[in-house]
Amino acid sequence: MIQHTEEIRAGWCVVAVRGRADAEAADELEEALKAALKQNSKVAADFSGLDYISSAGLRAVLQAARAAQTLEAEFAICRLSPSVKKVFDMSRLHQILRVHGELPC
Amino acid sequence: MKARRSVWHNQAIQSETKFALDGSLKQLERLTDEVARFCSERSLGDDMKFDLDLALEELFVNSVRHGGCDGMEEAVEIRLRADGTSVLVEFSDRGVPFDPTSAPPPNLDAPAEERQPGGLGIHLVRQMMRDFKYRREGDRNQISMRREG
Repeated sequence: MIQHTEEIRAGWCVVAVRGRADAEAADELEEALKAALKQNSKVAADFSGLDYISSAGLRAVLQAARAAQTLEAEFAICRLSPSVKKVFDMSRLHQILRVHGELPC
Repeated sequence: MKARRSVWHNQAIQSETKFALDGSLKQLERLTDEVARFCSERSLGDDMKFDLDLALEELFVNSVRHGGCDGMEEAVEIRLRADGTSVLVEFSDRGVPFDPTSAPPPNLDAPAEERQPGGLGIHLVRQMMRDFKYRREGDRNQISMRREG
């Protein structure tokens, strides 16, 4: 199960994601991030409340990043928990994506 | 004199758990719950729980999405066995023959659109698990692997 909230802060739309980004929740995550990217030129995904991610969840984040490129929007992935960071590291996606320790705003 | 089960013997029995999942992604919640219970009953840490959960999700989702297990009752059977601080995992499904251990490693530096579907999940399993083995037995794919403690 996955939940998200949106908040505008210093020109950034911060999408705070909580829960589990598994294969069942991946579509919901992708849609939430893409919807924010369509309406905002700067989007930060706050993953501090994300407990778990699988390859399906990673793919959702990757699709959102590709949408950001098409829309010419800024997309930052922030505050990964240690276990979620481990999955990003194993996948080497952090080389393609903009991953930050802290929020940009 | 009647034979009595020693405490040690009981612990040996409890070191294993087995459950079946239907071929539906809705079963992921059940998978997570089973892994969490197995780990908490044996005082295995959060890292172990996370890795078992992730490796099993990847195999299960592959079976449902690419292995023909979608909609199949009791499509997948999972057995977890504690062995000291390690956990032995046996995963079997009734899907089409597929050997994930011989799947080519994904080109992680390739653009997303050039990556093979399912390749990333198997790559994650390989990173976390040891002794990743496959055999076809009758109408089942049998995968075994070990997460070291």
